[in-house]
Amino acid sequence: MFELIAFYTISVLTIGLFLVTVLSKNVLYAMTALAAGMSLISGYFFMLGADFLGVVQLIVYVGAVMALYAFGMMFFDVTRDIKEKNTNGAVVFIIAGSVAVMLTMIFSMPLGINSIMTLVQPEVNATNPEAVGLVLFTKYLVPFEVAAVMLLVAMIGGIILAGKKMDDSLTSTEDDKIIDTEGL
Amino acid sequence: MDPLLIGTVLKSIIVLSIVSALAGFGTYIERKVLAFMQRRLGPTHVGPFGLLQIAADGIKLFTKEDIIPSNANKLIFSVAPAIAAATAFIAISAVPLFHTFEFTVPVINQLVIVPSVIADINIGILFVLGMMAAGLYAPLLAGMAQANKWGIIGSSRTAVQFLSYEVVTGLSVMAPIMLVGSLSLIDFNNAQADGVGSWIVWQQPVAFVLFLIAGFAETNRTPFDLLEHEAEVVSGYATEYSGLRWGMFFIGEYANMITISFLLAIIFCGGYSDIGFVAGWLAMLLKVAFFFFLMLWIRAAWPHVRPDQLMWLCWKVLMPIAVINIVITGLVVMLG
Amino acid sequence: MNEIRKEDERVKGTQEYVLLDLSHSPETGFDQFAQVVKRTFGKELFVGLWVTLREMGSTLFGKGKHTVSYPLEKMPIAPRYRAIHDMLRLLESGNYRCIGCGLCEKICISNCIAMDTKYDENQRKEVSEYTINFGRCIFCGYCAEVCPELAIVHGGRYENASEQRASFSLFEDMLKPIDMLTQQKEFDGFGAVSPNADENIKKTPLAY
Repeated sequence: MFELIAFYTISVLTIGLFLVTVLSKNVLYAMTALAAGMSLISGYFFMLGADFLGVVQLIVYVGAVMALYAFGMMFFDVTRDIKEKNTNGAVVFIIAGSVAVMLTMIFSMPLGINSIMTLVQPEVNATNPEAVGLVLFTKYLVPFEVAAVMLLVAMIGGIILAGKKMDDSLTSTEDDKIIDTEGL
Repeated sequence: MDPLLIGTVLKSIIVLSIVSALAGFGTYIERKVLAFMQRRLGPTHVGPFGLLQIAADGIKLFTKEDIIPSNANKLIFSVAPAIAAATAFIAISAVPLFHTFEFTVPVINQLVIVPSVIADINIGILFVLGMMAAGLYAPLLAGMAQANKWGIIGSSRTAVQFLSYEVVTGLSVMAPIMLVGSLSLIDFNNAQADGVGSWIVWQQPVAFVLFLIAGFAETNRTPFDLLEHEAEVVSGYATEYSGLRWGMFFIGEYANMITISFLLAIIFCGGYSDIGFVAGWLAMLLKVAFFFFLMLWIRAAWPHVRPDQLMWLCWKVLMPIAVINIVITGLVVMLG
Repeated sequence: MNEIRKEDERVKGTQEYVLLDLSHSPETGFDQFAQVVKRTFGKELFVGLWVTLREMGSTLFGKGKHTVSYPLEKMPIAPRYRAIHDMLRLLESGNYRCIGCGLCEKICISNCIAMDTKYDENQRKEVSEYTINFGRCIFCGYCAEVCPELAIVHGGRYENASEQRASFSLFEDMLKPIDMLTQQKEFDGFGAVSPNADENIKKTPLAY
C-alpha cells in the first residue's frame, strides 16, 4: 500500500517536474526542477530494491552532473526569463513528436509480450552492491572498461584544454602582460 | 501494532526534535568554547551561565522580519533553506545512532523496538554521503536566486568546494569499506566491536585524516568556510537571508556537523560498541562530543585557506593520497 | 644604500630588534610542496591547537578571563584623561572657584562655552549662566589649561550619553555638590600644576 502511494506520488511529481524543466522559460526554475526530478528518480530504484543504483543516481546525477550544470548556468542572469527563438514551429513539432511516439512504442513493446527474460540471473545470496559488482565485472566487463577508457580520455582532454595557460598566474602578472598573452 | 514501526516513528520524532534543538545548543557551545579559548566570557546574561541564550536567539529568529528582495526569484529563494534543513535530516536518518533496544509501554502493554538506525538500508554510508552531496543545492540555489553578487560568488564557491571534496570523502571512505566488506554502517559498527584495538582508525589512519579534512570542507567549517567567509564575500550565499530562513540554513549546517561527527565515530572509532566498562551509548556520545569540540577547537586555532589553496589541497594533495591509500589497501586485502 | 644602513644604525641605537627571516618564498612547485609538507607535519598546526587549548584551560581554571564586564565594572582611567568637565569649589568657603573672567569662553576653539556674569550685592563678580555644549566640545583641554583659578578641570565622567543636551551641560551639574566638598581632591590632571612644579621654578633673571 505504502509502495503504491509512493509510486504514484513520485511518478506524478517526476513528470510534473520534468514538464517544468521543458516548459519553463526561467533558467533557475528549469534547473531546480531538473535536479529535483533527478533525485526523485532515485526513488524508483529504492522502490525496486536496487538501493545501490538509487544512491548512485543520487550521487552522480544530483550531486555531480547537476551541480556542474548549475555552475554553467551561473554565467547567465538567472533572474530574467529567456526569450526562445523558434523559427519553424511545425518542424520542431513533427520531429519531437515522431521521436516521442517512437520511443513510447519501443519501450511499451515488451508489455504485451510474455517472453520477457532476465539476461543475467541475479545472485540470490549477494547483497545489492555485490550483485551489481558481479554483473559489472563478469558479463559487462568490456563495456565497463571501454567506459573507463572513455572517461580517462575525456579527463586528459579536459586537463589539456584547461591547462594551456596554467603557468601564467593572473594575479601575479602585470596587467599589460595579461593583455599581451591574449594577443590583443 | 508492529513494534518496530512504532519504535521507528518514535525515534524519527525524537531525533528530529533533538537535532534541531542541538543546532541551537551547538551555537551556545561554540560561542562559549571560542570565548574561553580567546579568554573571553561568551554569553552570560540570559539565564544561568547564559544558557537561555538559545531561547533568546530562537525568539529573535522567529520574530524577525522575513525579507525577500524584490529582484529575487521568490519561489526558489523560499525553497532553498528548506533544502538545507531537509537534506541534513534525511542524511541522519540512515546513520545508526545508538544500540537497538526494546521496552514495553506499561499501560497498554505494547512492545516497542527502537532500531539503531531509522532507515536501515544496506548501503547506509553511500546514502548519507549522497544526501549530504544533494545538500549543496541549498546554498547553490540560495545564492543564485537572491540577485546579489555576493550570493552568486558564494554559490559558485559552493559548487566548487562541495563537488571537489565529495571526491575526497568518497575515495577516503573506500578503503575502510574494502576492509569491512560492506556499505552498511551497522556492519562497520559490528566489525569494530572488540574494543579499542579493533578500531579502523588504527588500520586506516590516512583515510581517517582525509575523511576528517573532507568532512570539514563538506560541513563548511572553518579552515574551509569559503561559502560565507565574511571578510571576502560578506555572507556568501546567505547575504540576503534573515530570520527563520537564515535559521534553517543554520540548523542544516549544525545537523551536518552532527552527522559528520557520528560518521567519524562509527566508521573509524568503534561506533556504539562498549569500551570496557563504558556503556556503548555513553562512548558514542563522548566520541561525537569530541569530534564536535574538535570542529570548534580548530575554528579557534586555524585561519581560513584561500580558494586556490583549497582547490590545490583537494586535487593535488588529498585526492592522490586517497587513491594511493586505496591501491595499497586493495593490495593488502587481496594478498593478505 | 650604505648611508641609509648607517642612518638606520644610528636611529637603532641600543634597541634590540629581531629581524624575521622572510628571505625566500617558494619559487618552484617542488619548493611549494616541501613547504606544505613542512607546515603539515611540522609543529606549526599543532602549536596553534595547543595554544588555544592551553588558553581555554587557563581561562577556566587558572588566570581567569580578560573581559571587563563593563557596566558592572569599569577600568580605572588615567588622571590626565580629558572627560566631562568638573567645576571645583573653594575648600574654605564652599563657594565656587570661578571668578567669571571669561578666559575659557575666549579660548574655546569650538565655541561651545557660553557664560554670562553680573555683579552681585557685594560688587563681586558672579557667574549667572555657564553652559558647555557637549555636542560641540572636542575635549581639547584648553579651558582647563587657561583657567587661572583651577576652577574648571577635566573630570573622569566619560559616559556622556544622554537623551537631552541639557542634562549634562548645566553649570550646576558640573559643579561639585556642596555636601561632597570634603571629598573634593585637588586636581592633578589636565591643566593642573605638575607635582614637581616647585623644582621647575627658575629664578627670574632680573640682574643683568
